[in-house]
Amino acid sequence: MRGRIKFHPILEFKEKKKIKFYFEDQEIEAYEGDTVAVALHAAGIRILRYTPINGRPAGLFCAVGKCSSCLMEIDGIPNRRSCMTRVKEGMRVRRQNKRGDVV
Amino acid sequence: MKEYEAVVIGGGPAGMVGASELGSHGVKTLIVDENDIPGGQLVKQTHKFFGDHEHYASIRGFEIAEKLRGDIQGLADVEIATSSTVIGMYPGNTLVYAKDDDIEVKVSYKKLLIATGAMEKQLPFINSDLPGVYGAGAVQTLMNEYGVMPGKRFLIVGSGNIGLILAYQLLQSGVEVRAILEALGKIGGYLVHANKVRRLGVPILFKHTILRAIGDEEVQGAVVAQVDDKFKPIPGTEKELVVDTICIAVGLTPLTELAEQANCEIRYIPELGGYVPVRDERMRTTNPDVFVAGDISSIEEATTAMIEGKISALSMIEEIKDVNLEKEIERELDTLALFRSGPKSVRIRSGLKKFGVKQRPVPSSSQNGLQIGPAGKLRAIVDCTEEIPCNSCEAICKFNAIHIGENINSTPVVDYDKCTGCATCVSACPGLAIYMLKENPDTSTATLGIPYEFLPIPEVGQKMWGMDGNGNYICDVTVKRVIKNPNKTNIIYVEFPLEFAQMVKHTAFPQKSSPIICRCEEVTLEQIEQAIDSGATDFEELKRLTRVTMGPCGGKNCKLIVLGILSRKTGVPISELSHGTSRPPVKPVEFSLFSKGGDPK
Repeated sequence: MRGRIKFHPILEFKEKKKIKFYFEDQEIEAYEGDTVAVALHAAGIRILRYTPINGRPAGLFCAVGKCSSCLMEIDGIPNRRSCMTRVKEGMRVRRQNKRGDVV
Repeated sequence: MKEYEAVVIGGGPAGMVGASELGSHGVKTLIVDENDIPGGQLVKQTHKFFGDHEHYASIRGFEIAEKLRGDIQGLADVEIATSSTVIGMYPGNTLVYAKDDDIEVKVSYKKLLIATGAMEKQLPFINSDLPGVYGAGAVQTLMNEYGVMPGKRFLIVGSGNIGLILAYQLLQSGVEVRAILEALGKIGGYLVHANKVRRLGVPILFKHTILRAIGDEEVQGAVVAQVDDKFKPIPGTEKELVVDTICIAVGLTPLTELAEQANCEIRYIPELGGYVPVRDERMRTTNPDVFVAGDISSIEEATTAMIEGKISALSMIEEIKDVNLEKEIERELDTLALFRSGPKSVRIRSGLKKFGVKQRPVPSSSQNGLQIGPAGKLRAIVDCTEEIPCNSCEAICKFNAIHIGENINSTPVVDYDKCTGCATCVSACPGLAIYMLKENPDTSTATLGIPYEFLPIPEVGQKMWGMDGNGNYICDVTVKRVIKNPNKTNIIYVEFPLEFAQMVKHTAFPQKSSPIICRCEEVTLEQIEQAIDSGATDFEELKRLTRVTMGPCGGKNCKLIVLGILSRKTGVPISELSHGTSRPPVKPVEFSLFSKGGDPK
């Protein structure tokens, strides 16, 4: 089962306020408190960017802000750690291509 | 620029205990943490921790985080900066952190505690950069902190405690763990953690490594192979596993950049996890104002991190407040030495020696074999034969029936005259290594009480499967009693034939898989065979009993197979069996077609 865990023998996942954001212009539902990477994983999306040199797909590796594997373009700003950035209502998220444009 | 007496970088177990100690001694302290709530990696740990009760043994990781957080939140002298990332260290005992990714804050300190922890090691193999390859901790973060599962079928590389714990946690969340790979010939982590997953049927493949991940855009499989004594893959032993997620659990490496920038000497000590700051016994680095604690100084458990946090804080307080805390520090150093005295800490001890930090003498420990106890009495069997630093069973037993003694690494010895069969130890044991057993010669049955941390919780009277220590089916068992515990380690008592008393280690819901024969009505081979066994001898009877061939395809897919099964079971050749009557419509059509009636005019 991929996506949100509904039942767990130890933990209780309370239903949180739902918010909406956009991934590649497609509307995605998230829970308040989710990071961008978490919300995308909940929606089954694991490819977060394409690498600068070889254009290979890349995703999450450490999920705790250390490895910089999950860099995405968030609200127009590239190179943001999607595992440490909380989703906000209406946020616009894109897969980062290469190193990202200088704004 | 704000000035503090002490700054702590990192809100994990080491940093929180450090800040709490500093704050309770009236030291004006700032603790800076990257996450929006402190807790470090404890927040994603759902298992109960080993150790002693002073250091939260038998408490689950995320609950330890809550307790430590409570400790620092209640202190007037401790300021907590969350969502704050320290980005650099500067001369004059100053540092800069970014708050919420945008505000830059500069602060100064008299003494600094760096408790930045560690990060997961990479393991290079072909396609190891593909989405779907995660650090083990990342999967724990997703599933235990946020309740999001990134895959369905997992492969774990590495049988250290993180890999073993992750496998167990994945199973608790209801997904499949295909295998755990281990390059060495033995388990990296604690034996009790390994037993927890083995009895659930997860194979630990020794002398195996991963060669490549399969997939174009995301992981769709893995190629694994056996390795020789030099860890080289042996040609011809490659196996392909169908998995959608690969978790790398090959260890952690300390995060030392900030210590380096703070002019602490860094040395490569592989036994401690890689590059680590050089420090003395009391956690002071080569910069006299800078201390370290936790995984940054050596990759270990949360218990030792907490003790180190306390030692460094006490050392800092001595200088900031000009007080003598010799007794407290000595006591903590002795405790730390005790935790590190077991065979699992041999690498840590030899690593620390390279700094000149010697292991203090500790009371000797003893390793005792598995005791079975007197047959016929309901009693605790403690399957804990490896020396690890934990005495939670001894501490929890109200009847003093379990003895570990002065050295916390000794394995437990049960006094069966004192054991009342209360099972308190079963739900307390962090390794889930204790079960209750009673042989009943009158009824030729055995009663077994096992710790159970899965959903659904079995019900009294339910028939289940009894499994051995490797997850293989042994016999059917009947649930006799279910004890639901507040700590979520429930106890399930099952009864089964006496001859299997020493073999059954776990219980599972029966999972018979049988191929689907009738695709439309989803009837399995087993259901068809059962119908025949219950007396159905011809095709029409089978149809009425099971609905085979009665779906939209009208039997085009399965009729011949069903007749074949009937022929095989009854011994009547297919040619002599009635094969039913064909009726319209032979293809699915709309009902409205019939209501129109007659020929079109």
